[in-house]
Amino acid sequence: MNHYKTLKVKQDGNVVTAFLIRSDGRNAINMQMVRDLSNLIDTVEEASDVAVLVLRGNADVFSCGIDLGDFPIERPRDIYGLQKWERMCRDMERMNKFTVAAIQGECTGGGLQLVLLCDARIAESRAVFRLDEVEKGFLPGMATFRLAKYVGLGRAKNLILTGRSIRAAEALDWGILDQVCEQASFEVTLQQTIQSLLPFHPVALEMARRLLAESYAASYDEFLGHYLAAQHRCIHSEAFRRLIEKAGGKKDSQ
Amino acid sequence: MPIYNPNHAWRKKAGFVAPAAAPRIVSVGTATPPRKYTQEEVLELFGETNPKVRSIFLGGHISSRHLYLPEPVDGVLPEESNQELLDKHLSGALEIGSRAIKECLHPLGLDPYDIDFFSVVSTTGFLCPGITAHLIKKMGFRESVRRIDILGMGCNAGVNALQTMASFATANPSMLGLQLCVEICSAAYVDKRNLVTAVVNSLFGDGAAAILVRQDPADTWQQGPRLIDFESLIIPDAIRAMRYDLDNTKLSFFLDRDIPYVIGANVEKPVGRLLGRNGLKSKYIDHWVVHSGGKKVIDAIEYNIGLTDHDMRHTLQILRNYGNLSSGAVLFSYKEFYREGLIQSGDVGVMIAMGPGTSIETALLAW
Repeated sequence: MNHYKTLKVKQDGNVVTAFLIRSDGRNAINMQMVRDLSNLIDTVEEASDVAVLVLRGNADVFSCGIDLGDFPIERPRDIYGLQKWERMCRDMERMNKFTVAAIQGECTGGGLQLVLLCDARIAESRAVFRLDEVEKGFLPGMATFRLAKYVGLGRAKNLILTGRSIRAAEALDWGILDQVCEQASFEVTLQQTIQSLLPFHPVALEMARRLLAESYAASYDEFLGHYLAAQHRCIHSEAFRRLIEKAGGKKDSQ
Repeated sequence: MPIYNPNHAWRKKAGFVAPAAAPRIVSVGTATPPRKYTQEEVLELFGETNPKVRSIFLGGHISSRHLYLPEPVDGVLPEESNQELLDKHLSGALEIGSRAIKECLHPLGLDPYDIDFFSVVSTTGFLCPGITAHLIKKMGFRESVRRIDILGMGCNAGVNALQTMASFATANPSMLGLQLCVEICSAAYVDKRNLVTAVVNSLFGDGAAAILVRQDPADTWQQGPRLIDFESLIIPDAIRAMRYDLDNTKLSFFLDRDIPYVIGANVEKPVGRLLGRNGLKSKYIDHWVVHSGGKKVIDAIEYNIGLTDHDMRHTLQILRNYGNLSSGAVLFSYKEFYREGLIQSGDVGVMIAMGPGTSIETALLAW
C-alpha cells in the first residue's frame, strides 16, 4: 500500500486497515485526507488480494469532522472541495470490497458521514456520535440523504437538526451500528465482524449493495428490471458455477 | 470559470492525453416523421386486445414514437404489401434523411455540394440503387462524391459507419464526411398477432440522424469531440439472436428474449479493452452515449459496467420519446448531450451501440 499523509495503512492477509491520522489528534478531515482516501479507494479496488477495507481512527477519536481550518478566509469559498468529498464518499460506498467502520471515542460530522458509507459498522461502548453541522450553520453533506434510510425520517431529523450526541448503545438500537462492544474486546469484535462478512463474492457484493441503495428510491417495476440484470450477472459468475457443480446440477434431458 | 471535475483531475494524474490531431464530429442533425403516436394509439390502430401484447406495449418504458403508419381504414391499420413497405422505406428515408442532413449542414453554412464522402446506414429496407444515390439526386451532392451504403448491419451500424468516417477523415484531412443513419422501422413491421412481432412492433421507431466528420486543426472542442479510438466485439455464438426472418414475402425482425442479458454479460469486454489501452477507467468517464436498445438491455449494461440511470439519462429519454431508432439512436442520444449544454473542454465520453451479430461497438470520444 502507498504512503499517505493523513492515513496509516496496513495490510494483514486480505484485510486492509486505514487509520485516520492527523497531527491534531482528532482526525479532522481536510482536503489532503479526501485525496488520500480517494487514492486509497483506487488502490484497494485494484488489489485482487484484498477483500475487506477497515476504516478506523485512534483509541479516542474516530474523527471530529470537517477541518474548518482548511477553508480560505480571504478568498471566495467555492463548493468544489465539498463536491470532491462527496465523490470520494460515493466511490467508497460503491467500491468492490467489503468496507467496515470501526469506531472508538468521538465520531462527529464528516466522521459519522464516513461510517454511513460502510457495509459493517461497529463501535466500542464509549463511542459518541453526532452530526453538529446544522447546529454550526452548514450541512452534514449527503448524510441528509443517507441517514434517514438507516434510521427513518424522524430520528434523522432529530439527530441532524438538534446536533445532539447519541451514545453507541443508542446508535446500535437505531440501526446505525451492527455491534457494540467493550473496549477490551474491540479488536476481537472487529475480527469477528470481518469474518462474518466473508467469503467475498465481489459481484454479488456489488450487485446486492447497489440494489439496497436503490431500495427506497425506485418503483417496483424499475427495481425488478435492475434486480433481474444484477441476478443474471451473479448466476453467470464463477462462484455460482462452482455452487451448482457442488449441488450436482440438473442434467439436460433429451 | 470551469466547473471542478474530479474525472479531469484523475485523468491528468493518470497521464491521459488525447491526440491533438484526430477526426471530429463537428455537427449533428436529426429528423423524425411528422406523426407521433403514443403506445395506446398504436394498440388502438392495431386493434389489439390481447392483454399480454398490450402489457408489452405499455410496460416497455416507451411513451411515444414517430412512425409512418398508413391511414386507418374503419379505425384499423390496413395490411401493407411488401411493395408498399419497400416504397415507404424509400420515401420515408428521403423525407427525414434529407431533413436530418439539412439540420446537420446548415449551422456550418454547408450544402450537400460541399461533401466529399457520403455514407448512408439503413437496415429497414432493401433497395437498389442505394439511398445515397437517391439522396444525391434529391439534394444536389457533387457527381464526384465518394459514397457507401451500409445495409443490414442493424442497431450497431451507426458506430461501424463512424469507424469508416474516422478512417476517411484521418486519411483526408479537412475533407468532409457526412454520415446518415436512417431507419424506417415501420417499414419492417409484420403483425402476426403473436408476442414475437408484438415486441418488435412495440419497440422500434422511425428516425434519421446525420453527422459531419472532419479532421481540421482549426476545429476545437466546441465544434465537437475527437474520435480517439474504437473497439468492437462480435459474439458469433449469438448470431441468430437478432435477425430478419422471411415471413412470406416480408422481412420480419426477430429478437431473442435473452439478448439483453447476453449483451450485458459481454459489454465489459469491449469497454474494458477500449478504456484499458487508453489508460482510462469507467468510473472516470464523463459521458456515456449509449444506444436506446430497450429498457432491459439498458439495465443490463448499467449493472455490468457500473453505470447509473443518470449516466443513461439521454439514452432513457430517447427510448421514452422515440423508441428504439436502430442505427440512428446513438446519434439522437449524442445530440441530447449538446442540447443539455454541460460538456466542457477536456471531457471524455464512451459511445456504445449494440445489435445483430451479436455485436457491441464502442467508440472513445474526447472533447
